[in-house]
Amino acid sequence: RIQDRQGPAAPLCPPPCQCEEDGIFIMVDCSEMGLSSVPTNLSPLTTYLDLSMNNISEIQPRAFHRLHLLSELRISGNQLRYISGHDLQGLNNLKVLMLQNNQLERLPDDAPWDLPNLLSLRLDANLLSEVPAEAFRGVRSLRHLWLDDNSLTEIPVMALDSLPSLQAMTLALNQITHIPDYAFTNLSALVVLHLHNNHIQTMGSRCFEGLHSLETLDLNYNDLQEFPVAIRTLSKLQELGFHNNNIKAIPERAFVGNPQLQTIHFYENPIQFVGKSAFQFLPKLHTLSLNGATQIQEFPDLKGTTSLEILTLTRAGLSALPLDLCEQLPRLRVLELSYNQIEDLPSFYHCSALQEIGLQHNQIRRVESSTFHQLTSLRALDLSWNIIEWIHPDAFASLHSLIKLDLTENHLSSVPVAGLGGLTHLKLRGNTELYEAFSPDHFPHMRVIEMPYAYQCCVYGSCDNYKPASQWDTEQSNTNEDLHKRTVAMYPIHGDTHYDPDLEEFQLEIEESKLQTSVQCTPTPGPFRPCDSLLG
Amino acid sequence: PHKQISGVSSGCQQGGCLTCSDYNGCLSCKPRFFMHLERIGMKQIGVCMTSCPPGFYGTRSPERNTCTKCRSECDSCFNKNFCTRCRAGFYLHLGKCQESCPEGLVRSDTQRECV
Repeated sequence: RIQDRQGPAAPLCPPPCQCEEDGIFIMVDCSEMGLSSVPTNLSPLTTYLDLSMNNISEIQPRAFHRLHLLSELRISGNQLRYISGHDLQGLNNLKVLMLQNNQLERLPDDAPWDLPNLLSLRLDANLLSEVPAEAFRGVRSLRHLWLDDNSLTEIPVMALDSLPSLQAMTLALNQITHIPDYAFTNLSALVVLHLHNNHIQTMGSRCFEGLHSLETLDLNYNDLQEFPVAIRTLSKLQELGFHNNNIKAIPERAFVGNPQLQTIHFYENPIQFVGKSAFQFLPKLHTLSLNGATQIQEFPDLKGTTSLEILTLTRAGLSALPLDLCEQLPRLRVLELSYNQIEDLPSFYHCSALQEIGLQHNQIRRVESSTFHQLTSLRALDLSWNIIEWIHPDAFASLHSLIKLDLTENHLSSVPVAGLGGLTHLKLRGNTELYEAFSPDHFPHMRVIEMPYAYQCCVYGSCDNYKPASQWDTEQSNTNEDLHKRTVAMYPIHGDTHYDPDLEEFQLEIEESKLQTSVQCTPTPGPFRPCDSLLG
Repeated sequence: PHKQISGVSSGCQQGGCLTCSDYNGCLSCKPRFFMHLERIGMKQIGVCMTSCPPGFYGTRSPERNTCTKCRSECDSCFNKNFCTRCRAGFYLHLGKCQESCPEGLVRSDTQRECV
């Protein structure tokens, strides 16, 4: 540390700051030291200066005029209200300027900051209500600009015209209500634009003209009434968010201009209508979620959207599925179509990657042998709350990975068990015509099973706790003694010491394995739900 | 060099803390500060900052301001998909840190950029 080697010459490290050498240069940390002004005797060899979290309310004239080599200046977390162009004179090499968490109310207009090499400018968490047209005339190399968490009511269109090299900008958490046409015309290098948490209600249909490089656009948490058709010009767009808005419809060919889209987040919108061709030709889209769009009567045409892995389309008005659904979506992993009116199912044969299918709360009557044929990766299948009367004996035969099957509340009188050997969860509650007591041998891995009637749980030993107490105790104690004898034979205990850690551990293992094999079967039999079927 | 040397005092002496405990540091921050959990040995200390530490980016929202880790190849970033400075061995171009540069650009080791 430089403090220890102070000579008579002007101190390199102004007290009470801490300094560190970086070759011939020095890095000065004066953060959180209760300073009310910039230290005066800073070395010209300073490349990094941290003045954050002090009580500095203004920058005295010529405070930085010798710091031509300063690369990073942090004055965040102070009480600065205004910084003129003169205040920052001399910082020709400055690359990073952090002014966030101050009280800046305005930026210089007539004599703007002259920072020709500035790359990153943080102005977030201040009190700026506007940005003068000339404010950025002296920072033309700027790449990253933070203006979020201020009080802007408009996009600073004129000021942004001075920033041809800008690549990332956030205007989030302001009070912007409208985006005018040609708002970002000169920002051809902009890759990221955050506008979330404003009050944007309307946008010019040409407001994003000029943003040829834009990849991420964040319009979440605004008050948009219409779908932002202006995105049509964003040919490089990869990530789009407009969730938590007030949009009611997604038009036909909505994303025709955005073939690179990978993710679209638009939940928490009162979307009623979705154009059939809205999500066509999005070869990189991997997730599509539509919930509650009640006016959707037909399954969307997903031609050319071949990489979709997760499709959620719930609470709509679907009554049928296209026969070529899986030809269009060969990579589908999760298909969630609950709360529709689907009656007949196509064959999902070509959706070989499917792992989860949710079809609960529909109008399905039958399950054919071809419906789920060869879905060897399928792990969870939810067909509850339908009106299924019949399931083909081979319907589940090839579902080698299936562990969860939910057939709650259907009209089944029998359930084929072929292929269900791997199940850990099976739900059959509410199938009032289903009397069969399935043998545990069919389900060697079962852990949770729900049956229509209590007696069907008896095969799982659930009746033990119902037998008269005395008979139960003697029987149980005999089995414990047998267990103890067999254990001792395997672990000879020395006469003098009763405690044997290995035995202890072995008994714990037995207890645990007993727990794991016990199947939780409901409804559990009881005095009013006898083990013997009342119906013989 | 962007080396940040400012050591943030722990426990309850930090300026950005709203509620705190000597053992866990800041439990909540004043408005507009970023909350970050810093690991010190086995302990996690809550720290309230005006900017997230190197290797993290800040996200402001009306409810709270959080720090999230950048991609592994970035030293610093604007958000999870846009780097502003790369780790050694990677070179920055339009927010991406890659081991090679697009045609027409060359690797600058001092700036860790494609130039």
